Amino acid sequence: MTDRTPTPILQSVWWRRLFVMVAKELRQLFRDAALIGFFFWAFIMDVYLAGSGTSMQLVNAGLVVHDADQTISSRELIHRFHPPYFRFDGLVDHPAAGLRRLDFGKDVVFLDIPSRFHEVLLEGGTTAVQMQIAATHSPQGLSAASYGARIVGEFGLDVSTRALGSSINGDLSLPVVRSDHRVWYNPNQDESWFMSISEVLTITTIFAVLLPAAALVRERERGTVEQLLVSPLSPFQIMFPKVVAMTLVILAGTAMSLFGILHGIFDVPMKGSLFLYFAMTTLYVFTMAGLGLVAATIASNQTQVSLMTILVVAPMINLSGTWTPPEAMPVWLRELMLLSPLHHFVNISYGIQLKGTGLDILWPSVLSMAALGGALFGFGLWRFRRQFA
Amino acid sequence: MNVRRVAAVASKEWRETVRDRMFLALAFLIPMLWMLVFGYGMVLDVENIPYAVVDRDQSALSRDYLYRFQQSRYFDFQGTLSDEREAAPLLAASRIRAAIIIPEKFQERLLAGQPVGVQTLVDGTFPLRSDITKGYVIAINTAFSTELVVAHVARIKGVTHDRARELVQPIKLEVRYLYNQEVKSAWTIAPALVMFVLALAPPLLTALGVVREKERGSIYNIYSSTVSRLEFLIGKLAPYVAISAFNIVILWLMAVYLFGAPFKGNGLFFYAAALLFVFITTGQGLIVSLLVATQQAAAIITVVLSIVPTILYGGLLVPVSALGPETKVIAHLFPAMYFTNIVHGTFLKGVGIEVLWPEVLVLLVYATALLSIGYWLFRKRPAL
Repeated sequence: MTDRTPTPILQSVWWRRLFVMVAKELRQLFRDAALIGFFFWAFIMDVYLAGSGTSMQLVNAGLVVHDADQTISSRELIHRFHPPYFRFDGLVDHPAAGLRRLDFGKDVVFLDIPSRFHEVLLEGGTTAVQMQIAATHSPQGLSAASYGARIVGEFGLDVSTRALGSSINGDLSLPVVRSDHRVWYNPNQDESWFMSISEVLTITTIFAVLLPAAALVRERERGTVEQLLVSPLSPFQIMFPKVVAMTLVILAGTAMSLFGILHGIFDVPMKGSLFLYFAMTTLYVFTMAGLGLVAATIASNQTQVSLMTILVVAPMINLSGTWTPPEAMPVWLRELMLLSPLHHFVNISYGIQLKGTGLDILWPSVLSMAALGGALFGFGLWRFRRQFA
Repeated sequence: MNVRRVAAVASKEWRETVRDRMFLALAFLIPMLWMLVFGYGMVLDVENIPYAVVDRDQSALSRDYLYRFQQSRYFDFQGTLSDEREAAPLLAASRIRAAIIIPEKFQERLLAGQPVGVQTLVDGTFPLRSDITKGYVIAINTAFSTELVVAHVARIKGVTHDRARELVQPIKLEVRYLYNQEVKSAWTIAPALVMFVLALAPPLLTALGVVREKERGSIYNIYSSTVSRLEFLIGKLAPYVAISAFNIVILWLMAVYLFGAPFKGNGLFFYAAALLFVFITTGQGLIVSLLVATQQAAAIITVVLSIVPTILYGGLLVPVSALGPETKVIAHLFPAMYFTNIVHGTFLKGVGIEVLWPEVLVLLVYATALLSIGYWLFRKRPAL
């Protein structure tokens, strides 16, 4: 060989074998042009798409009003249903016309203000406003109702304080509990932060579990694993480089989306240690690789291993707290999700990036993830050894 | 086109599928299991928010106030802290998502008829959750304040409680929910999950099924046979479409009977539309499989291509009407959104083709386009 002056790390045979095998895996991976092209799409474009413009909060809900009163009061009330929550789509002459717009999905909220609205309020009487909400999307419907109640309640209180104030000669103070919120970690409630981080986690998960698993089974399916088995490599030396190679690739992808999209475009802060973040991503990728490994030793061909891992991974992606709040899940499912490495990684990832926490606070999550990873990896390795040794 | 040759390819494909027991089992199990866990787990309701309190007042009124949070199913009481500073590490560790801090003189000021501010610290990492949490806090505050104000007004104006209530709340808001009267998240999610599962499972099966042949090299048998391109594609896709056609029924049954979603529309129309959607997603899988060389790539690409657009732009979590102008354009580029409209229309609104024909038309265009592209991409003499 030509390496007359080996670097110290390559001196031992063990390390050199590892290095050669990792290089082999990387070369094999980079020859799959479609996969590599897609790798860039996923870590860059997908993350960008997820972070730009999608919002789970109530925004831009179409509002159509039937105003039978047409006075200052009714107009003031309508005016209080304002963007970004509501989008005023105009008045209708008849309630049925408003309901039809809801049927066709053009609007979400239909407000019906009765006649003599202004008059009754001046007299100090009571009146009722109807709000019909298309609840095909239930969270949005509930939000619309809660905002509506808040707006109408405040309006009513303003009207009555004005009336009461004038009758008690001004300076009226009422015993109310004011809500004073401080939102931490994402004070402007910028949803692109949440969405883009969640998307990076999703993509990382998919690649981390599928790349090593398929690489392992492919070798077996094609029979090239026999060549490796007759070589002086141990089962660990065959398997471990695959995981290392895939981890390097995924870390590169994470770096791309972190610096290019999250910091570059969405201004997501990195409050904690960048080094810790990458260290934790590495641990996570290893853990998921362990899962892929277990699947690979159970499945007998690539098709099976792909289906099996996706069967497990899709629920993990959707239920670990990346897209929906996990607290509302039924207890059995919440406890089941403690087994999902992503559940812990979500805590770690948001913790480091947005909360700036370190190991002193995150250690329970890190420990759980490491334990899961160790168990999966150990089990996978044990099965792999039994199959080939 | 020779029907016998199509049948031969289809039966070969079917036999291969049936012989791979695990593949066959997974083809039926995946949609069912996903529907099951997603139906229970993908709830957008924000409930059981873990919170802690700091009560600096320790009075009867502050306890009465805090009791309302304990009573609420939206909040999950985690404990009382002696100091505000203790809240920070708990929030950082995600042990609590909110902290309520009651100031000194809470009772004194309120009884004197003065306003008082209660501070809430909210974990803002998940904006949907923090926004709804804020809403709940405001609702509890409003209810609590109204009672105090009513009592206060009754006292200073010397009127009855009922009259004071009328003075304080002159406008009542009557809310009626259409299509989903009880505003159940399951009614929204379960039908949309039919869409989600059909967007994910069929292309996966198809892509793997086709690439499998390419990767193993058995596709050369086809290249050298008399089977034409079209015959091969129809025969090859038929078993996968058949599996999905069966799965549609299972998914529908689960949505209606397990998750209690109402089905108000025409079942036949729904089935036809769902089948059309399956053709589209199968076509997606076909195109992916023709462009890649390995099953590994096929699986990853299909999953990423299916999951992201359907979750974010398909109307599953985010209603398309709530998207911004640019993202709305993107949403219209993916077929998922149109099928979600059909699903919600037939399940919840009870409307049929008379309202949903534009959606059906778009899906037809997609199906034709995707299958044509698949046909055009498939070469019996690949340039490899």
